[in-house]
Amino acid sequence: MSSPTSTPTLEPMLDMAQLRPRAGSQAMFRFRPVGNRVLVTNTEGRWLLLTPDEFTAYARGEVVPDSPLHERLRTHNFLRADYRVQEAADMVRARKSFVHSGPNLHMFVVTLRCNETCVYCHASRANMDAVHTDMSRQTATRAVDLVMQSTNPFVTIEFQGGEPLVNYEVVQHVVEYATRVNAQAGKQLEFTMVSNFSLLDDAKLDWLIEHRVQLCTSIDGPEALHNAQRKLPTGDAHQKTIYWIRRINERYRQMGLDPTLYHVEALLTTTRATLPLWKEVVDTYVDMGCRSLFLRPIDPFGFAERTKKRLEYPRAEYLAFYRQAVDYMLELNAQGVEILERYAAIFLTKILGGTDPNFLDLRSPAGAGVGALAYDYDGRIYTCDEGRMLAAMGDTSFLLGHVDSARYRDVVGHPTVRALAIATNLDAQPDCVHCTYQPYCGTNAAFNYKSQGSIFGRMRDNTVCAVHKGIQDYLFEKLAQDDPAARQTFERWTTLRPREHFIQPAPESADTPEAGV
Amino acid sequence: MPTPMAEVPEGLVAVDLDESSAVVTLDPSLYPLPAIYGAAYVFIDRAYVLLDRSSDGPPGDPAGDPSDKRIRVTLVAKQPSPTREDLEAMVGELANEALACAYRHQLTQDNRVTVETVTMQAMAGAMGAPSLADLADFDFTDDALDDPLGIAQSWEEKHGKKPPGPSSAEPSAEPSADPSPTATADGASPSESEPEGAP
Repeated sequence: MSSPTSTPTLEPMLDMAQLRPRAGSQAMFRFRPVGNRVLVTNTEGRWLLLTPDEFTAYARGEVVPDSPLHERLRTHNFLRADYRVQEAADMVRARKSFVHSGPNLHMFVVTLRCNETCVYCHASRANMDAVHTDMSRQTATRAVDLVMQSTNPFVTIEFQGGEPLVNYEVVQHVVEYATRVNAQAGKQLEFTMVSNFSLLDDAKLDWLIEHRVQLCTSIDGPEALHNAQRKLPTGDAHQKTIYWIRRINERYRQMGLDPTLYHVEALLTTTRATLPLWKEVVDTYVDMGCRSLFLRPIDPFGFAERTKKRLEYPRAEYLAFYRQAVDYMLELNAQGVEILERYAAIFLTKILGGTDPNFLDLRSPAGAGVGALAYDYDGRIYTCDEGRMLAAMGDTSFLLGHVDSARYRDVVGHPTVRALAIATNLDAQPDCVHCTYQPYCGTNAAFNYKSQGSIFGRMRDNTVCAVHKGIQDYLFEKLAQDDPAARQTFERWTTLRPREHFIQPAPESADTPEAGV
Repeated sequence: MPTPMAEVPEGLVAVDLDESSAVVTLDPSLYPLPAIYGAAYVFIDRAYVLLDRSSDGPPGDPAGDPSDKRIRVTLVAKQPSPTREDLEAMVGELANEALACAYRHQLTQDNRVTVETVTMQAMAGAMGAPSLADLADFDFTDDALDDPLGIAQSWEEKHGKKPPGPSSAEPSAEPSADPSPTATADGASPSESEPEGAP
């Protein structure tokens, strides 16, 4: 399968034998060579890029007091004598703020049926005649009742499949029922739907837009690649998706919504065939009017397990693809074309912004159960999307209960959730505990379990770890180059602008809602 | 027939192609037992896994070394007709997993407070306060408040000098298992029950 990239070493940049580090003046720090600099980070996630000479002086405890280097180290809290504990604690608290609130993301698999056949389908889709894989209204109602018990004041219900439009009636029911019960729950409620759009029509689009359902889709790049990987019986999956992306974006414009904020979000699944097409992929997204592109590597779930010989690739090749694609995106941004890479934006928000965007697989501990829940079509509840994908492959290790019988506190307080919270805490993970990128990173227990046999995984030969390290190496190399245009683009990528239009308006009545089953 | 694996010190690893098995011997003073369990468990989808002690000697051979405390992990591949490379790959992965588990075991102990605190915050944040329906199922009987081990007692109550007088001679509710006159009801000798720092 794939082999992770090798860890860079300080030699020959630094002669380690001559370095002779001496403890004493430094506060706790981790270090890693990046380009021709040495990156140092501390507990609270502050960082500095030092020249080899500066790093040598720091490591040897020979930084001249009142020198510019001393001042940089002091202001970034890298010196023991001046260490500001309260400031560090406040930063750690800000980075970990997600641990104080419960599941925000609630994934509803309203059906496994799908009219499209994807070569890597992670969801293990079912044929269109498999009506038994549709979620019933009753199951959906009970799932919404659980959602509304979340301790998180912000709640997003995400419709997935299969193709959710196949069970459109239940999508409508969930939106209407959840909006009604929210009159009492008082959540900041949002809906998103991940669809291939091929079953969309004008009436459905009107209804979805009227009910503020955010629409997302998948585009695998240029037409030939997309249609080879995501197949409709009519052979025009790409054309249909693009058609509806343009229609939806046009509708947002007609409503007076800012197109830089309101547009269809699309996701890419990177296969071996994608790797040489980095430029075509970016161009396709820009041409579609998308402002963001998520260069996701392929996962080992669902049909991708069977097709991996054809679709998989060494992660070093993925990282080369990533660098080329993001270099090109930075060029486009410098020319005034706004397109961001989602992975980079998540990391940069932590690195430059000091906050956490709460991406569930890039936090410590991960969001399985405590940040998200997945409700399968049959009412079973899983810790995460990947958990229900594994269940579709015959492994129910991540099962938490059933909407018919489970109580909210039993679900989120399930021993499996606790085990995952411990397993994904990077403070107890070999490699991560000493990794320079620890303050910004995260691990996915379901992926570790599937690919390495335990929820902990082994980061040294873990492909997700290789990707996370490789992307952060790239980002810090770019920061080390001190290119004002790239820095400006990076700063823009970290700017979180809430899409308030998608928040359901406050209900007018707080009457007790009826289940409407 | 078992054969050693190249590049590995003799006696630690053997691969038997005829039996589709590999044997790895681990020193429990280097790899804690929980780490060996954790590493071996990872293989149960690919192999039948057996743990025993090296001191037992090979099956059918009563001659073992009783002083040998090493743990022997036997992996029998579920896959039919595995190649030698397949078996060696399992051995390599087991060795790496054992190291990862041992190291994680140590890190978990080192960082226990941090991990427990974050986990507790995450769980409490997600669960929230119990509802009335949750409270209805709580066990409010006195049983949960029983303290048979005297954990809730203060140090002075448990071990401090008893005040003189007839009350100190009250018999214990449970007869002492030790009839020795120097033992108290909880098994501590009078000299042990002197508070630290007492004259």
